[in-house]
Amino acid sequence: MNWFDSAMHRALLEAALVGAMGGVVGVFVVARRLSFFTMALTHATFPGIVIAALLGINLLLGGGVFGLLIVAGVVMLGRGRGQDFTAATGVALAGGFALGVVLISAQSGFTKDLTAYTVGDILTVDTFDLATTAAVTCVVLLTLAMLGKELLLRAFDPDGAAAAGLPVVLLDLALLALVEMAVVATVPALGAILTLALLVGPAATARLLSDRLALLFPLAAAIGVACGLAGIWISMVADVAAGASIALLVGAVFAVALLLRRGVRRPRRSTALSGAD
Amino acid sequence: MNLFEPFATPFMARALIELIILGALAGTVGVLVLLRKLAFVTDTMTHTVFPGVVIGYLAAGEGGIFWGALAAGMVTAALLTLLTRRRKVSEDAALAMLLTSLFALGVVLVSRQSGYTTDLTAFLFGRVLTVTGEQLAQTALISVVVIVMLALLRRPLLLRAFDPETAEAAGYRTGLLDVATNLLVAVVIVAAVRAVGTILVIALLIVPAAAARALSDRLALIVPLAVVIGVLGGWFGLATSYEASIHHGVRLAAGGTVVLVLTGLYLLAGLGGVARRRIVRRRAAAGPLDQATAGISTGVTG
Amino acid sequence: MADTAPPASPPDGVPPDAPPEAVPPDAAGPQAATSETVGPEDGAPRERDVTLRMEHASIAYGDVPVLEKIHGIVHPGEAVALIGPNGAGKSTLIKAILGLVPVVRGRIEVLGRTPALARRDVAYVPQADTLDPDFPVSVEQVVMMGRYRKIGWLRRPGRADRTAAAEALEQVGLTQRARHRFGTLSGGQRQRVLLARAIAAQPRLLLLDEPFNGVDAVSQHALLEAISVLKGRGASVVISTHDLAIAHLACEEVCLLNRYQFGFGPAEEVLTPECLRATYGGHALELRGDRVIVAQS
Repeated sequence: MNWFDSAMHRALLEAALVGAMGGVVGVFVVARRLSFFTMALTHATFPGIVIAALLGINLLLGGGVFGLLIVAGVVMLGRGRGQDFTAATGVALAGGFALGVVLISAQSGFTKDLTAYTVGDILTVDTFDLATTAAVTCVVLLTLAMLGKELLLRAFDPDGAAAAGLPVVLLDLALLALVEMAVVATVPALGAILTLALLVGPAATARLLSDRLALLFPLAAAIGVACGLAGIWISMVADVAAGASIALLVGAVFAVALLLRRGVRRPRRSTALSGAD
Repeated sequence: MNLFEPFATPFMARALIELIILGALAGTVGVLVLLRKLAFVTDTMTHTVFPGVVIGYLAAGEGGIFWGALAAGMVTAALLTLLTRRRKVSEDAALAMLLTSLFALGVVLVSRQSGYTTDLTAFLFGRVLTVTGEQLAQTALISVVVIVMLALLRRPLLLRAFDPETAEAAGYRTGLLDVATNLLVAVVIVAAVRAVGTILVIALLIVPAAAARALSDRLALIVPLAVVIGVLGGWFGLATSYEASIHHGVRLAAGGTVVLVLTGLYLLAGLGGVARRRIVRRRAAAGPLDQATAGISTGVTG
Repeated sequence: MADTAPPASPPDGVPPDAPPEAVPPDAAGPQAATSETVGPEDGAPRERDVTLRMEHASIAYGDVPVLEKIHGIVHPGEAVALIGPNGAGKSTLIKAILGLVPVVRGRIEVLGRTPALARRDVAYVPQADTLDPDFPVSVEQVVMMGRYRKIGWLRRPGRADRTAAAEALEQVGLTQRARHRFGTLSGGQRQRVLLARAIAAQPRLLLLDEPFNGVDAVSQHALLEAISVLKGRGASVVISTHDLAIAHLACEEVCLLNRYQFGFGPAEEVLTPECLRATYGGHALELRGDRVIVAQS
């Protein structure tokens, strides 16, 4: 019997892959404060997946392309005067999701598909899904390995990056595309809402635990993988939804790190303020 | 498309009344959400109410949903005020963690029930077509309370949104104002979530106000415009959904259609806003006298 | 921050860690240039005519002091300029006078009350560029905000409120822009609107945080005029600024700050090369022996 024949094995591998990818990409999501935007992306990808299913083309491709269209829309709308970025993001989130709901409600089997989409179903991933996730993970990690330096400069010193002559608009688009790829690969496993947990949680936890940039990526990836694997195990033992137990675990790890940091940092806290005007 | 015919049946009429009340309520509170840039906080609250809904349902059946949601709403409103006031962690990441963790808690709880997908769908998309008279009365009562609160607090809330430092310097308790703001948003979410679901709530709280803002720079106009857009979205959305399913044999989810109509109105308002600014600019260019006086009062001469 | 603020060493003669009770009132801080710092002297206004009284006040965030031993008095109709490099604690002092930052030692009294209790008679003018220019409020709405505390929660703005707002706007010369959106005005005009808002509150103490930053000449003139009218009506004014020339123009008194108080008194006595060099540390540059140019980073 092939190792991949077990649904449990496939789920574990999928969880490890999306955990690692989510952790690494998440470092940028957290640094650039893109959480809400990522949430909108996960929701706006939905109609793309439905349309792709209707047209019979690759679901990930359809979702990805549609998500990028929404990104462009948000960036344009958010530039209007009086329209702050968050409001435009909120409109894209609600509007995109509703479009998916309306499209899918016109089909039959409404609730089943929708639930799989909103909270995910990692136990049903097949070998093809796994291969796709693995490929996406490789592409994302390779791109980050090549562009990581520039993206980090852009994240921590936007003006400095522009002054250094980096193509900041292209870099921003590249980052959004990477986040979108991670979203599209993670949504089938964790669902539209809980994908956000893996794309923010491990990286936010890593930042609480370490101030050293070099450590952030491996730390975030390790936390993502560990939460993914442990979450699947818990869901098996306790018979609860797998995606939700992963997200809950990520939240718990973050909370523990937050408490630890509070404890450690308190004595040093005031020094940071001593220069305050 | 007939805008009145669908609402002859009692269940459609109740759905329409519910959406009109909620559209007006959420449109008003939505302006506060817009001014304070609380879109993500609002989205977080719509999801953190979920475990309350589940626990309430498990404890006391249908009747427990409202109270469970209310309790969860109050708790998260307080938690969010704390989170957003201390800027230790990036606020954005903290919100994301609160959102996913509490929502996941709800999913874990509900996934231990059999046939949970229906419950989840009801929470996400609501059951606007099964609204009862009692629910209508609840929504109306909550609306009155919220509107009275807003009317009382409007000046401090405006000053807090525009210039938090000065609000504090003037002696306003901005911490309490922030709690009040979050509570108001939470109450609207709780009132709306059973009927219209989380996605429609977030749409009602964000889209009408954003559209109204595109159309006007004056707060005195933005609030009524947001109310009108919220109400129109509910009305047209329901009518479209009904029309499509009765006359064209296409089932369109009512809540989703309302959101799509709202999004359409938002895009129209965006175009309207661009046109409005063009006209203003052209008028300014046409009146050299105006410009001269503006130049004098600005006092910027090279 | 760290590179602009010189090492926090107090001026000669005052040990930095001397407990405040060990410092006699008139020995706190460098007293070389301080004339009328303490208590009623001969000819000084009587006790009840003091708007702002600071007595060896130390202000801290948490355990770390930001300002220590601030000492001085401001009378009605007087203006004092807070001068010091970035990070010197000017804004912190303003916040302490508003009662938003605690005084850990010593005392700050506004109109004989604690700062928090005196807020109704105090108005604060923030820097205009800290406010969102897209916010949908009109100029007259912003000015009316100055009346909110007097209007209360339920009442609508009455005739007195509208008159006060209109007069305040008139004083800064922006009556014809009343219906414009706040964000459409230039930076200097916005600053004038914020001053009008403070004037509308009819304060007895006015606090301005860097009001002249990036302000055009016309607006600067309008601001100075309005401030002097306010002083004429008996209000006291505290202005934090970088601009020594403006400090000279608008204020009788100067308070030199950099973690400690390096001088408090009439401008011509305090704005000396010695005091400025002490305040600004390495950032002061002397020209021809009698002028000091302060390089801001």
